[in-house]
Amino acid sequence: MQTRFVAVAIILAFATVSAAQTPETYTAARAPDGMPDLNGIWQAINTANWNVEAHSAAPGPMFELGAAYAVPGGFGVVDGGTIPYQPWALEQRDENFENRMALDPEVKCYLPGVPRATYQPFPFQILQSQQHVMIVHEFAGAVRTIYMEDHVEFPAPSWMGWSNGTWEGETLVVDTTGFNGNAWFDRAGNFFSDTLHVVERFTARSPETLTYEVTIEDPAVFTRPWTMTMPLYRRAEQNLQLTEFRCVEYSEELLYGDLRKPGTPAPPR
Amino acid sequence: MRKRFLLSITISIGFVVCASMAEAGQLRLVQPDLPPGADASYVAPRTPDGQPDLQGFWTNATYTPLQRSEDVSAEFYTPEEYFEMLSGRVDREEAQTVPGTTGDVHYDFTQFGLDNSQSTLSLNLRTSLIVDPPNGRLPDRVDGQGGGGRGRNRETQYDQVQNMPIGSRCIIMGGAGPPLMDAGYNSNYQIVQSPGYVTILTEMIHDARIIPLSDGPAAPEELRQWVGLSRGHWEGETLIVETSNFNGGRPFQGAGENRHVTETFTRLSDDHIDYRFTVEDETVWNRNWTASAPLARTVGPIFEFACHETNYGIANILSGARQEEREAAEAEQN
Amino acid sequence: MLTTTMPTKLTAVVAIAVCALVATMPASAHHAFAAEFDVNQPITLKGVMTQWDMVNPHSWFHIDVEGPDGEVVSWMVEGGSPNTLIRMGITKNTVQAGQELTIEGYQAKDGSDKAVGRNFVLPDGTRLFVGGSAPGADGGGR
Repeated sequence: MQTRFVAVAIILAFATVSAAQTPETYTAARAPDGMPDLNGIWQAINTANWNVEAHSAAPGPMFELGAAYAVPGGFGVVDGGTIPYQPWALEQRDENFENRMALDPEVKCYLPGVPRATYQPFPFQILQSQQHVMIVHEFAGAVRTIYMEDHVEFPAPSWMGWSNGTWEGETLVVDTTGFNGNAWFDRAGNFFSDTLHVVERFTARSPETLTYEVTIEDPAVFTRPWTMTMPLYRRAEQNLQLTEFRCVEYSEELLYGDLRKPGTPAPPR
Repeated sequence: MRKRFLLSITISIGFVVCASMAEAGQLRLVQPDLPPGADASYVAPRTPDGQPDLQGFWTNATYTPLQRSEDVSAEFYTPEEYFEMLSGRVDREEAQTVPGTTGDVHYDFTQFGLDNSQSTLSLNLRTSLIVDPPNGRLPDRVDGQGGGGRGRNRETQYDQVQNMPIGSRCIIMGGAGPPLMDAGYNSNYQIVQSPGYVTILTEMIHDARIIPLSDGPAAPEELRQWVGLSRGHWEGETLIVETSNFNGGRPFQGAGENRHVTETFTRLSDDHIDYRFTVEDETVWNRNWTASAPLARTVGPIFEFACHETNYGIANILSGARQEEREAAEAEQN
Repeated sequence: MLTTTMPTKLTAVVAIAVCALVATMPASAHHAFAAEFDVNQPITLKGVMTQWDMVNPHSWFHIDVEGPDGEVVSWMVEGGSPNTLIRMGITKNTVQAGQELTIEGYQAKDGSDKAVGRNFVLPDGTRLFVGGSAPGADGGGR
């Protein structure tokens, strides 16, 4: 009798807690500076880096790698389904796809840009201080400095853009411009220009997850702004650290192998 | 016009510094590394999570050599000697820019603000960065040979990209270390602190070293990195960072994968961090050695140093070398 | 005169008196440039700058040069990292496309239309960016 009472009490307690803590109503713990605490190592789990639009499973670009590097199917992360390209841009995207091995900047270990860096299959770390929120990515050691005070316009274009951030209640809102237009959205050739404007919203939805909403605007490429949404998952391992993936060394043979002095053997793999 | 303006400011402030140093000879002896005019009782403000605050933009740009020169015996320069040393260095560098010499085949640093005279320099009256051994020089090497670092074969260095210097390949540069060393120009750092972490962003090449402050298990032997693996903790006002697990790809003074580096950071004033490092490598030296390479406050921002992405120099150098070989081969045939 | 807020703050923090502003050169950079460009092929390019790529490790100037035959050749000229200039208040808007420029330097060893720029000189004889009047700079940086 007592056990059943305790069991019921426990069930009721959980029910109460769950009811109070839906993703919509969840409020994160506060960081020591009083802001929502989004510090930690996070990672996306989806196929957006393969293709942000919905896509079937497909062979990879090199048959020698077989199933190991084939493309997993995915539901896509673009709200509304497809990216609203201008007609010329849709043709350009398809041409990019046909030549993706040669053209994808990720293959060359170039900085991935935003938002691609967020959903590449590598962890990243959010480090919050009052003046700057840093986001450091394992891939290529890409760094984003989000200026929380003294917002200015970007001085020059860059791969990761120039980010100005504010807190809107529970949400970290990051407004980024100043892209050089050379990065891609994914491995499928989805692209943008140097007039790209990205607004990201990071909101805690549970102690272990964030909601990541991105608004994309580029009047040179798209017919209207569009959005993508996905959860981000906290890497729960104890004592995890980002590890180096400098990756420059892995792309050099591809980039410069043809400039080798004739007769010089290539280094062993 | 603008050059003279800069120059007059530096000279006038320089004299103020010199005067205070000359008068406060006792200060120099008792607290030799305290920056001029600094308050010995300074305590750094705190971050929201209670760490001494090291945040901001810092530089380690310096003319002070790692090792004490053979013709110098004192541990410290007087201010007059220091400025004489600086002028000597400047004169030597000027000699490299004679038209028609290889030294002239370079953009003029002053036009891009990259020369030391237009930079914040980290003031340091020491005659060497090395403070221990007391002679200011590296300890004896275990193999009895002199000099640090393995030489690169200059005959074959442009035969393929993999033979070229690590920095030219945009993999990693000297400012990242650890330890943090003057990169030559753009030698700037941004320190950001968040709960449980100190992050040091080195400008070249956008290297963010995220240092956890919690205790953790020993790093696995098999996981090795260009910057090693770091872990830090605070002891009072001093941050102590231990780093090992280097992959040996860019040896520091000859110490590769077996080196262990201990760094300390202590904020001495709003504009000055005392930064020291101890290097240990039993396979290279018979004892460890310590250097002091202070950080001075500078201005930001640290703009993205995307190096590999637009590193046209590699392709240009390699194709230039191939062109020269073709021309030499044709000349031989004729 | 190039107006920025940065230089006095830069030099006021730590005071170092030097006798002259001269070009310093990290040892490693010295070698590589002489391998990329030919010391025996000095060149002067006079033309119209179409673009300044503010990239690293070295920035690149694109300049259209009209040859004696009237044909316009586009050159790519290597300059320094823009990062310190940005801290001094220089931005993408500082040097406009269409700016007339004379560049003294050395031609690329591989024979292409590339060079390293030793001196970048404006029509009035002053040097670009530092050392003389330049197209107006935005204030800013932080």
